[in-house]
Amino acid sequence: MSSALTEKNKLAILLFLVSEAVFFVLLIVAYVTYHLRQGNGPTASNSLNIVKTGVFSAFLFASSYTVWRAGLSFQAGNRSWKALAWLAVTIAFGLIFLVGQGLEYSDLIRHHVTISRDLFGTTFFTLTGFHGLHVSVGLIMLTVVLWIAGRSGMRKPKPAAVEVVSYYWHFVDAVWVFIFGVVYLWAFVG
Amino acid sequence: MDVASPLLPATPQAEEIARLFYVDLVIAGVIFVVVAGLVATVIIRNRKRSPDDLPVQNFGSETLEWTWTIIPVMIVTGLFVYTMKVMHEVDPKPVGREADVEIIAHQWWWEVHYHPSGAVTANEIHLPVGRDLLFQVRSADVIHDFWVPALGQKVDAIPNHPNYAWYDVDKPGTYLGTCAEFCGAEHAWMRIRVIAQPVPAFGFWVEEQLLDARPPTGSAAKAGAALFAKHTCMNCHSIRGTPANGDIGPDLTHLASRQTLAAGVFRNTPENLMKWVSDPQKYKPGSHMPTMDLRRQSFENIVAYLEELK
Amino acid sequence: MNGGTHRPTGPETIWDVPEYRGLLSWVTSVDHKQIGIMYLLAAGSFFLVGLFEALLMRTQLIRPENNWLSPETYNQIFTMHGTTMIFLVIVPSLLGFSMYFVPLMIGARDVAFPRLNAFGFWITVLGGLLLYFSFWAGGAPAAGWFAYTPLSEKAYSYSTGQDYWALALLAIGVGTVAAAINIIVTVVTLRVPGMTMRRLPLFVWMTFVNAFLIILAMPALNASLVMLLADRDLNALFFEPQAGASELLWQNYFWFFGHPEVYIMILPGFGMISEVIPVFSRKTIYGYGFMALSTVAIAFLSFGVWVHHMFATGLGFPIYYIFAGASMLIAVPTGVKIFNWIATMWGGNIQFSTAMLFATAFIVQFTVGGLTGVTFAAVPIDWQLTDTYFVVAHFHYTLFGGGLFALFAAIYYWFPKMTGRMLSEKLGKAHFWLILIGFNTTFFVMHPLGLLGMPRRVFTYPDLPYLGLLNEVSTIGAYILATSILVFIVNVVYSLRQGRLAGANPWKGWTLEWIANSPPAVENFAFVPPVRSRRPLWDLEHPDDPDWKHEGGA
Repeated sequence: MSSALTEKNKLAILLFLVSEAVFFVLLIVAYVTYHLRQGNGPTASNSLNIVKTGVFSAFLFASSYTVWRAGLSFQAGNRSWKALAWLAVTIAFGLIFLVGQGLEYSDLIRHHVTISRDLFGTTFFTLTGFHGLHVSVGLIMLTVVLWIAGRSGMRKPKPAAVEVVSYYWHFVDAVWVFIFGVVYLWAFVG
Repeated sequence: MDVASPLLPATPQAEEIARLFYVDLVIAGVIFVVVAGLVATVIIRNRKRSPDDLPVQNFGSETLEWTWTIIPVMIVTGLFVYTMKVMHEVDPKPVGREADVEIIAHQWWWEVHYHPSGAVTANEIHLPVGRDLLFQVRSADVIHDFWVPALGQKVDAIPNHPNYAWYDVDKPGTYLGTCAEFCGAEHAWMRIRVIAQPVPAFGFWVEEQLLDARPPTGSAAKAGAALFAKHTCMNCHSIRGTPANGDIGPDLTHLASRQTLAAGVFRNTPENLMKWVSDPQKYKPGSHMPTMDLRRQSFENIVAYLEELK
Repeated sequence: MNGGTHRPTGPETIWDVPEYRGLLSWVTSVDHKQIGIMYLLAAGSFFLVGLFEALLMRTQLIRPENNWLSPETYNQIFTMHGTTMIFLVIVPSLLGFSMYFVPLMIGARDVAFPRLNAFGFWITVLGGLLLYFSFWAGGAPAAGWFAYTPLSEKAYSYSTGQDYWALALLAIGVGTVAAAINIIVTVVTLRVPGMTMRRLPLFVWMTFVNAFLIILAMPALNASLVMLLADRDLNALFFEPQAGASELLWQNYFWFFGHPEVYIMILPGFGMISEVIPVFSRKTIYGYGFMALSTVAIAFLSFGVWVHHMFATGLGFPIYYIFAGASMLIAVPTGVKIFNWIATMWGGNIQFSTAMLFATAFIVQFTVGGLTGVTFAAVPIDWQLTDTYFVVAHFHYTLFGGGLFALFAAIYYWFPKMTGRMLSEKLGKAHFWLILIGFNTTFFVMHPLGLLGMPRRVFTYPDLPYLGLLNEVSTIGAYILATSILVFIVNVVYSLRQGRLAGANPWKGWTLEWIANSPPAVENFAFVPPVRSRRPLWDLEHPDDPDWKHEGGA
């Protein structure tokens, strides 16, 4: 594995993820600020289902492992068709997570918890919505990798390209660790 | 005095700040003279030599670098300590006490309440000289900023977030101020007049402000009062002693006792009041007071009525 | 000179290659030099627009209680002036120079990601067009470039101008981050052998540090904009006081971006001055290590000073302590730079070309802006003077007297490299003296205006003593300033056709860009000399006394 300091694509994606991290930190700080001053409308603790979301989150967390395995199978010297299977599993896990998020949203909206209901709704939907958007972008990129690899009979793409995509995917997972902690666990504990 | 400057203080708070400013000005002046002097010296000494005349290549000196790092650190440290001292003197915590004057900023005028008397006025703030006065500043809509340079610090008027300031006026006089945070179309015409009076005169003024509006006397004024009640004026304005109790625009109970109109656009004269009442959108475009479609005679009657509200 | 050792093998300059001629080649280009020039042309065009807006404002303010412009129009114009000058003029022109010269100065053929480079440029242009489209879509934004909530919320700014403003800045923000990533990766991975980090030209150093500032600060703006758009267009409540939202959230977020942004607009300018002064003093830069490190210090501190924009909001003393202290401290590394530039000139053989005149004026004017900056860090003075014309004076001394003067120094310095022709020195000096007089006349009197109680962002002011007089002086200054820009435009147009041919190294510079042709060939270099010091071309000229014998670890 070449160092990020000499491999330009890796360095670029890391810098990009740093800027993404600042973006999410600000959304999370906004959530925390308003969580501390919430009124008597819907809140995280009376609107969210931690168990259900926890299960769907487990799929997202597991997908970090599967994308790592996919990356291993893309490396020069031990490139194998297994990569496609691992990629497909990753994509499936990501999709399951998104389905979970969709179910959660429709449930909330049915109970009239929306982005314009109160500060919880505003911060919750913005934060998790942007995360969901990132998951979707990640899924598109993973699908492109899968497509290219399948079409070229595993001759393409380069390992570096796969690695860049997997960095992004790990980042999206890591952000969810924080969101899950701040939004769900905090509501459950506090 | 018509010049509104932080350097013409009328309170001990503003005076402290002015002194800090002068200290800072002297420090800055000295530094500027040093820098500009060095640059001038270099220019005079070193120009117009032949381009091929090669000067000594000097790569730097750690001693000098540390010198011009550490001396500025010492200067700003000194300034920091003095700054913090002034900060505490000017702005002590307002504990266990109700504000004497409560300012509520609106687009684009100032609502003023006095405690405990309960007097209400707008845009022109009468104050007693020689008292420690605590101000509370709030906003009814967007962020504004209460600034009367002669009194001292400016204070942001923020919805949901009351701010406080002490102003102990020690000289009678009229002090001008203005809104200092951009607040929309008519930010420029959100002026403040502070009228600092000796305590007895101030007490007399408060007594007057607490009275209900006197009933109209002349026939034009009576017609004007009827028009005021009939049209939408009373949806926004209060005139105590009448059914009018709106709170969108300034309280007009003693309008005629004020020096200016429309938060500083006009001096308060009958001609100007006529202009203002008949076409506010012409003289303060964007203001929330609509131009009403009435006959000239009606406006004249309304003005006659308002002119009686001493 | 190096003429003897320089043997280009390919075409002489980029214009000799058919693929690089014609309008289409510009639109489709991924060449860092063409993109750099396009950044400069776009920024230059927006500068003229922003200048026109400034003249409208100064004309309105020429006398008290003027009703020439309606308040609504005036508010749109000052909002557009600020937004344009910051996001569409200063930052893109600095990026233009960075994109053009960073690869050249480190001996690279291009930036690391040429296509990303084109993307960053074009999306910035798109942002500019979106911003100005607002005029045709119901009115430009009118809540100031800082767009404080709740004024910028739909309840108080109903026109779609505010939405266009947010979308435009999002687009520009994305482009700027893309450019910053490109710069960092280029500097890290594409340096020619021998070009260690300790030998990087200071312009590259400061651009490099600047890129980190962009990456960390810009997303804060993007997050704030997204929240504002959610409020305006999805009825979210981030900044809605009625819903109990914090009124200071926007200000904190905006200035967390906004103050680093101030340094984003000045650091590359510091770098330009650090290139121009040594060359025209015929000396090496004084205190290279301290210059580079003080840049890093400024970058760190710039994230700890944002609350000094909010001293009047009543946040409380402990917070004021921290931010007042940091805001004063940040003056120190800036002072270090000022003294190092003077020390570089000291004992030098100073050639007062137009570039050097701009650089010298920069030092003095930036010092004025820096000193008034410290004034604002002293909290009680800030309580009096913030949001007055004193602030307008202060930041124009840093951004115009500093930033723009540095840009003009860079234009006069590097124009020959970019075009192959010299700018006229005669017109250049006329430009310099006119802008010096115009700038100082316009902005110096704004200090006393602030001290006389004139608030910022007012479309007019009452007829109080001195206000009319000082404003009139300022307006006259603005017209002198605008005249100087006309002289500059004439100079550029004339010199592009008639200017003296520059040759590779007209100023006898020492950094790598001067060994390439003017303008450089497609992939820049036919030959890169060995880099063993910060001034490789000096080493070529003075094999008897090369820099690498002296530089050591400093």
